[in-house]
Amino acid sequence: MPAKLSRRSFLQLTGLAGLGAAVTGCSNGPPAGSATWAMWSSSAAEKQVWDDFSTYVEQQLGVESFPTLTPSSGYPTKLDLQLVSGTASLVTALNGTLIPTYAARGAHRPLDDLIAADPDFDLDDFYPTSRRLSSFNGKTYAIGFDVAPTVLYYNKTLLQKHGIALPSRTDPMPWATFRDLAKELTGPGQYGFTCAPAIDDLVSWIYCAGGNVMNDAADRSTLGDPAALAAIQFVIDLFVKDKVTPPIKNLVTESSLSNFLQGNVAFMQNGPWQVVNVRKAKFDWDVVPFPAGAAGSTPRVSGSSFAIPSGVRDGAQLQLAWKLLKTLTSTGALDIYAKAGRNNPARLSAGSAFQPPPDNLGIVQDILAGKVAGGHTFDVTTNWNQVKQLLGQDLPRTFLGQVPVAEAINGLTPRLDVLMSQHQDNVRQATARKG
Amino acid sequence: MAIDTAERTATKTTAPQQPAPRWRNRESLTAWLFILPSLIGFLIFTAGPVVAAGVISLLNWNLFSPPQWAGLRNFARLGPDPTFWSALGNTAYFTLLSVPLTIVVSLALALLLNQGLRRVAVFRSLLLLPYATITVAVAFVWIWLYIPHDGLVNAVLGLIGIDGPAWLISDGWAMPALILMSVWKSFGFGMVVFLAGLQAIPQQLYEAARVDGTSPWQTFRNITLPMLSPALFFVIVTSIIGSFQVFDQALIMTNGGPGTRTTTLVMYIYRTGFENYDQGYAAAQSLVLFGFIVLITAAQFTFQRRLVHYDN
Repeated sequence: MPAKLSRRSFLQLTGLAGLGAAVTGCSNGPPAGSATWAMWSSSAAEKQVWDDFSTYVEQQLGVESFPTLTPSSGYPTKLDLQLVSGTASLVTALNGTLIPTYAARGAHRPLDDLIAADPDFDLDDFYPTSRRLSSFNGKTYAIGFDVAPTVLYYNKTLLQKHGIALPSRTDPMPWATFRDLAKELTGPGQYGFTCAPAIDDLVSWIYCAGGNVMNDAADRSTLGDPAALAAIQFVIDLFVKDKVTPPIKNLVTESSLSNFLQGNVAFMQNGPWQVVNVRKAKFDWDVVPFPAGAAGSTPRVSGSSFAIPSGVRDGAQLQLAWKLLKTLTSTGALDIYAKAGRNNPARLSAGSAFQPPPDNLGIVQDILAGKVAGGHTFDVTTNWNQVKQLLGQDLPRTFLGQVPVAEAINGLTPRLDVLMSQHQDNVRQATARKG
Repeated sequence: MAIDTAERTATKTTAPQQPAPRWRNRESLTAWLFILPSLIGFLIFTAGPVVAAGVISLLNWNLFSPPQWAGLRNFARLGPDPTFWSALGNTAYFTLLSVPLTIVVSLALALLLNQGLRRVAVFRSLLLLPYATITVAVAFVWIWLYIPHDGLVNAVLGLIGIDGPAWLISDGWAMPALILMSVWKSFGFGMVVFLAGLQAIPQQLYEAARVDGTSPWQTFRNITLPMLSPALFFVIVTSIIGSFQVFDQALIMTNGGPGTRTTTLVMYIYRTGFENYDQGYAAAQSLVLFGFIVLITAAQFTFQRRLVHYDN
């Protein structure tokens, strides 16, 4: 073996290695006929669930499964780039709030023709709220894999320590009772309630008061209407006037979950998707229905779904995409998801896999089935990112007490109305494209 | 006419052979080969996108639907858009405060390190660490430092009897908080450039000044500063360009809030283009930012003829 390598040989080898790396890098990814799908994943536990999904897909379809997992914060950007460049997977996961956005842009295809042509697929096995979240402009654009209402978590240990009777497992407490309890449980280093200072959490209170962000036609903002204003004022008072919430330290990193896990907060507003994280708490806890306002207990119901990009070609590719979508949202797959405790599955037949603890976890399905309290589908527009961005700019200042609620709402309403008009334009364009 | 033609013929035959064009010289060819990778990179990743932004700014394009011709409508939208003007004002505020502060701090530290201290290399490395650290990581550390009640910054202020503000959620203090963090993060670069410039100043100039009996301030003003002016000019130009492009720290530490108090132009461009999918409007904003940077840099180059002293 020659021990020395000449400069020329070294350069040649380096060039060859570079060429090899470039060829590898420029390869076309998974072979044709593979089941490719995209999903967000931000932790090892989440990754494990999707790996199990992948194994399940391979068992069911008999083809190789290639999940593209991306941290949730970067998922929409990566998905956009893949959709634009024609490199998106056959099936992509979508957050329910973005389904109208992608559908209106023509990024994903309607599924109604595929559903109608497939007698094996039973859309009725999905919760109605999940089906509403997955639809846009009268068409089904996605099939749900999880759906859940916002619930009220409470620190059982803390309430028992103060000799306070535990809240009813089925009857939502009125807002006034909730406020009194939150005030009673607030003391030095201890707080009655925590939620995120953002529209995603605020909207549950607005729905419970009978209000909404926009009117039914989604062509005008209704945050300035009495019901919505009263709801926002109620929550802001909890922060600013009653001071029953932990002080806001930073608007970006503020986390109701981390506040609740400290053990010194009595109530937290959140979804059952946090059950898996709250199980790490060092105190006893449970969930109850969301407090009832003037319109009852009708908090936000949100969920996520799988959809097929418009770029998937008709024929064998579309057939595989549909089979994959059906497999990813099948009872068997959603059982894996629910057993891991990630969230409530979107299928009624997979519901039993989402099991306690906490003791009262069953209310999630009872709420969705209309047996206990109620829920309100998260109403969004085709430009929800912009709406959220606008509300994210101006509303947090009310939580800090820097701007009165009425002033903030009056200031942002004209801009919200412009966004509603843009939404109407998007809907019109989508309808025209469909025709 | 005949003479003229003859003269021309004579000239043609007697003139020395024309040298090959410069680009065909071996030396020129070698130079071009060396420049080529950088030139290709510049054309693909800088000039190309600038031209593409110019074209996209004239379109309505959401990335998915076919683009539609918009003419100058995207530029017309800038006028009545309060967030754009707010972002522009915030960026200018950031630049006006952060650039002078960074230069003063980095120059002061460079002067200190140039005093022949022992273990200068160690101090230099330590002071360069913030610059070498990833902004995202630094931003998260500073979020903790700025926590209103328990944060280190307010704890230190408390020791001297000052009740510190709620930095990152305060209307008035959020931007100064970002500026302070950015100065800390970037002074290392200027310091190294200034230190190199200081060490290149001929010592005989200082010896002459000593002989003339000048004060330290006179020496600094009349020798150090003029001799350092090329380095100073370089740091000012790069700092201003960098500060006009401020993005990551604002996104992580305040997400542009409270309200739009820390929304910078690049952040707004990013949101317009990649969160709101309004590529045409985002490109129009980018071109305005590009125009500002070009204008300011051109003004700096004009002034440098009078204020910057080169050896030759």
